[in-house]
Amino acid sequence: MFSFLFFSIGRAWQGFWRNAAMSLAATATMTLMLLLLSGFWIIQAGFLASLSYVEAKVGVVADLEDGTTNLEIQDLETRLKAMPQVTSVEYVSKDEALKRYREERAKQGQTDLTPYLAENPLPASLEVKLDKPESYRTIADFLNAEPIVHGPVVNIEDTTDRLISITSFLRTFGVLLLAVIGAIVLFIVINTIRLAVLGRAEEIEVMRLVGASDAFIRWPFVFEGALVGLLGAVITLGVLLGAAEPLSQFMVGFFSILPINVGSISRDVTMLVVGSGMGLGIVGAWVSVRTYLIR
Amino acid sequence: MEPSLILQRNPDRSASSVDQRGWPGDDTAGGNGRAPADTRRPVLVLNDVTKTYPNGRDALKDVDLVVPEGDFVFLVGASGAGKSTLMKLLIRDELATIGSVILDGDDLSRLSRRKVPIVRRKIGIVFQDFKLLPSKTVRENIAFALEVTGTPRRKIRPAVERVLKLVGLTAQAEQYPHQLSGGEQQRTAIARALVHDPRIVIADEPTGNLDPLISWEILQLLLRINELGVTVLMATHDSDLVTALRKRVVALEEGRIIRDEVGGGYHRAG
Repeated sequence: MFSFLFFSIGRAWQGFWRNAAMSLAATATMTLMLLLLSGFWIIQAGFLASLSYVEAKVGVVADLEDGTTNLEIQDLETRLKAMPQVTSVEYVSKDEALKRYREERAKQGQTDLTPYLAENPLPASLEVKLDKPESYRTIADFLNAEPIVHGPVVNIEDTTDRLISITSFLRTFGVLLLAVIGAIVLFIVINTIRLAVLGRAEEIEVMRLVGASDAFIRWPFVFEGALVGLLGAVITLGVLLGAAEPLSQFMVGFFSILPINVGSISRDVTMLVVGSGMGLGIVGAWVSVRTYLIR
Repeated sequence: MEPSLILQRNPDRSASSVDQRGWPGDDTAGGNGRAPADTRRPVLVLNDVTKTYPNGRDALKDVDLVVPEGDFVFLVGASGAGKSTLMKLLIRDELATIGSVILDGDDLSRLSRRKVPIVRRKIGIVFQDFKLLPSKTVRENIAFALEVTGTPRRKIRPAVERVLKLVGLTAQAEQYPHQLSGGEQQRTAIARALVHDPRIVIADEPTGNLDPLISWEILQLLLRINELGVTVLMATHDSDLVTALRKRVVALEEGRIIRDEVGGGYHRAG
């Protein structure tokens, strides 16, 4: 068993270098395809992160009746926090609301007219953050039923509904696009490897005629395919690593507001590139050699 | 020289002489029947073989052929007579449409795919175009046949040395095929065919690409191998070689065996 493995890997290595031009062409194709795939993957990941960021902004603001006691507010807060759809609840007092309003006006360069008011007209409120936009209706209904909540909760239903449909469309579209690119990459890589195997038809023919078993014919090619995939993956990762620094500096203005976890993205991309590179190499070689075995 | 073992099929199909003599393929006699006329074991038996290609053409029709161990057989016939098809049946590249091909006791049509490589190791195959791998040296080309069949490394080296000596290429062992003459290339191919100790060597036009003198050399080599006890089946166009040697000659025409005689020439005598 070990000698078989040793033989196969040895032959794969030999086969790779003795047909260097073809092997390197296959590796180059593999690299380009992996770059395409991982590039789209990164764009997709950034895109999804942006969507989640936007969605996280969806919340419900419940204005409270004037004269509500702290006890009543705390009670409502507790019950809200107990709901699974609620991620956080923040109490904004009347004073806090006025302060925020003034800051907002100042930022916009408008004259602050509030000192002329006899009293603070802004209500205290509870700002509720939701786990996902779809939870909006449940929470709104719950809040509207509360006596201390002033009037119907702001009706942003249409807006959230639209947001939900847009984001789910974009998500589906992104996954679909990635799937199409994945399929294209699959076909191109498999065809390239098929060409490389075709160039060795003579060798396979001789192996068959001297009585090599299918395993002895197949595995060296499969290992060679894996080698092409691994080499392509390493080059791809090198290119990505080199491009990461200038690219992130260029994008820093855009991406800095997004809570993108660079660590997890680069881990995912590494796994994607190495996995699909070796996987495609192995599948490509397996399928290509099969043509010669079945007779 | 013993009488010919090739038996022409009777046209009425009722009692082929092969069956009467109890050769393999006869259901009652089993796989190891012996002919009274010749006690040598048959290495190759074709029993009423017809090969029809998908396009409807019969490449071989009702072929009966028995080759006993140690025989030297010339297979002659014009292009398209069925020689290549016969060769393909023997190495199980193709399967007989009707009838059975039995090689060293194994019925090729009943062989599972997994056992095909094992049977192929009983055959050494030599081609007109040598089929040497250009990126390997003579020694590597020969060793290749053993490496890919899983032979342990320590057994490969002595086996390769032995056949290199047999074909007289020890001095050229480290050269690549393009550095060799045609005759040397064919000798390398013959060495590769021999290295795993086959029961039978099948040579498909081995001298087709060589000039007469070199052809003669190759034939001498095949004869020597035959003397060592290996059965040799050689398809050829070369009438001079066949006529000069007076060995057993099997002639094919339009897929049928039209002649099978020992000591015959390339062309029908008389």
